[in-house]
Amino acid sequence: MTTEKPVVGVLDDDGDLAATVARLLRRHGLEARPFDSPAALLNDLASCSFGCVISDIQMGEMDGFAFADALRSRDPGVALVFMTAWPTTAHAVDAVRRHGGLDYLEKPIDEQRLLAAVEEGVAWSVRERRIASVTASFTRRERHVFDLLVRGHSNKEIAERLAISARTVEDHRASIVTKTRTNGLAQLVALSRGEP
Amino acid sequence: MPARAAPRRQLSLAPRAKDLPLLLVYGFAFGLLNWAAHLWGGPGFFSLWYPAAGLRLAVLWHCGLRLTPWLIVTELVTDCVTGAIPLTGSATLSSVIGAARPGVTCGVALAATGALLRGKAGVLTQPPMPLGLAAIAAPIFNALAVPPLEFLFWKTSSYRSGVDVVISLTGLAVGDVLGILILAPPILWLAGAIDGGTLTKPRLPRGRLLADALPLVASLLLTAALARAGLGVQAAPSLLGGAWIGLRHGRAAAWLAISAQAFVFLTYSASAGSMTAADRLELHIGLAAVVLVTWLAGSFADTQTASQALLDRRNRLLFQAERLKTLRAMSVAVIHEVSQPLSTLAIEAAHLRKLTEGQDTDLAESAALIDRKAQALSEMVRRLRRFGGRDVDEPSLVPLAMLVKTACQIVAAEAGSQGRTVDLAALPPDLVVQVQEIELVQALVNLLRNALAASPQGTASVAAATAGEFVKIIIANPRPVRRTQGAGMGVGLIIARTIVEAHGGTIVRDDDAAETRFVLSLPLSGVLP
Repeated sequence: MTTEKPVVGVLDDDGDLAATVARLLRRHGLEARPFDSPAALLNDLASCSFGCVISDIQMGEMDGFAFADALRSRDPGVALVFMTAWPTTAHAVDAVRRHGGLDYLEKPIDEQRLLAAVEEGVAWSVRERRIASVTASFTRRERHVFDLLVRGHSNKEIAERLAISARTVEDHRASIVTKTRTNGLAQLVALSRGEP
Repeated sequence: MPARAAPRRQLSLAPRAKDLPLLLVYGFAFGLLNWAAHLWGGPGFFSLWYPAAGLRLAVLWHCGLRLTPWLIVTELVTDCVTGAIPLTGSATLSSVIGAARPGVTCGVALAATGALLRGKAGVLTQPPMPLGLAAIAAPIFNALAVPPLEFLFWKTSSYRSGVDVVISLTGLAVGDVLGILILAPPILWLAGAIDGGTLTKPRLPRGRLLADALPLVASLLLTAALARAGLGVQAAPSLLGGAWIGLRHGRAAAWLAISAQAFVFLTYSASAGSMTAADRLELHIGLAAVVLVTWLAGSFADTQTASQALLDRRNRLLFQAERLKTLRAMSVAVIHEVSQPLSTLAIEAAHLRKLTEGQDTDLAESAALIDRKAQALSEMVRRLRRFGGRDVDEPSLVPLAMLVKTACQIVAAEAGSQGRTVDLAALPPDLVVQVQEIELVQALVNLLRNALAASPQGTASVAAATAGEFVKIIIANPRPVRRTQGAGMGVGLIIARTIVEAHGGTIVRDDDAAETRFVLSLPLSGVLP
């Protein structure tokens, strides 16, 4: 589990706008950093844990959607918010459905909507990372058992589904509880939802 | 001179109340013209010019073919009243049949011309040309109908020799041609003017009358000179003069030239008592040729002018559409360019206002003012964008040919690299549909892509045709020998169908033995004028 405050990346090939939005977010208590090129942001991915990235769609070197795919492949736990000066219905649908954007903002930007989207994004990212850190220590089989368990299946059902014995399921379950240091199913379910 | 595009199609033959006065006037006029024609009569033929044929053709052309039987009845009644048909004796039947023949053949000629030209494109189908063709067909049909009737009903021909037959039939055809081309145009012009409520001035070359009169006079003088030299009355000079005038200045000028020439020639042939019948016939054949050539030349010139005008109009429309498109693209670009810096400005202005809020200073006032203006400007950009966006999506009248061509171009660009081709048949250029342009192009592109992908040779074809109030766009490709698993998921067709159905149309698969065919039907919104 990461304890450092998640960073919000603001990416726009218009550096002034990126800086302005980053300052706006900082004024609202968020850790924000401006970037004027996708490459610069992707470079910093290793050294810095982003919670949310606000990205322009039409950028010179790399289009916002291509950037989104690159970002996702390197770090699936970052929330994405798109902004654009060329809004189209097709783009809006693509942004949300295909590229997992939380929102699609038109320039000039509505401040309230931007803040709401970023806060939602950061919270989502925190949950995602928490789940990832919990399940990272699982074996493949433990992960399967965990997924079925938190969906409310009994040991017997899980054994049938995975074609293993109920006894083995119990072993996996014990291991899961040990690894997550939880106490009972309710806590496991809360974990699976990214709740602390 | 207005002329109908084609004889009107009427199914009901029953006469209407308003036809009765027309038929009365027609009977009277027919009798008068019939009588006037006999001045140019001769042995073996009735008359060398027959204006009643012009009257008949004009009335049928203007009022529709349904009047044909009633005109024939009227003509027969008139003939009985004037004594042209003997009411007693053995000749009655043959006279009745002979008198009904021209009316029937005229109706047949008009119907045939209409049927021949219907649904075809080209200069022959443009308005004045069908009338010109009908004016030639009617006399020919009339003359051709004589020998079979003679053979059927009289067995023994009244003609003494083959030469007599030729002279008689030629005389008949020539008389009808002269009558039709001299009388029908002004009658149709008058009828059109009465229909339209105003007398539209025929297209006469202002100030060029002299330019037309000169070749006319010159050709007549040349004819006279040739006659003086003992070469007979030759039509060749007038032929040249008439063609020249018709081609240069259209039907109105052509008709004036025809009238002037006919006046001179007919007066001459009526007054020259010493002329033999054969000479007179020869003269009239020459005159018929002059009249026909002049009239066709005039019609052709008018058609060309009309097509040119139509073309210019279309070009202007296209140019305008192009300009609108550019303007739209430009305004979108401007909105974008403005919204980018405005985003920064609005955020910073709001921040500045918040920082200075509550301070009773000049600075606070300035900051508040800047923020207000920035917000107002932002709101305006959003509104403009919404307006522009809706405008793009709103259905508008689009030429069908443009839609199909755009789709073909899009597909051709990607198909060309894979060695695939789209074969685009000639499209009716004047069809207009009310659609969302971008969406419909997308639908067509999807269907074309599918067709190309499914075609074993990588070829597809597009054609369009009207069907009642709909236009059908047919996208076809040769059938693969066995069903192959396509690369697509069938989403393209679903999208295309959704788009087309939203426009009140349908997409139907209508395969035949050799081809897979998708028929896209759209409601037609109109035809370009």
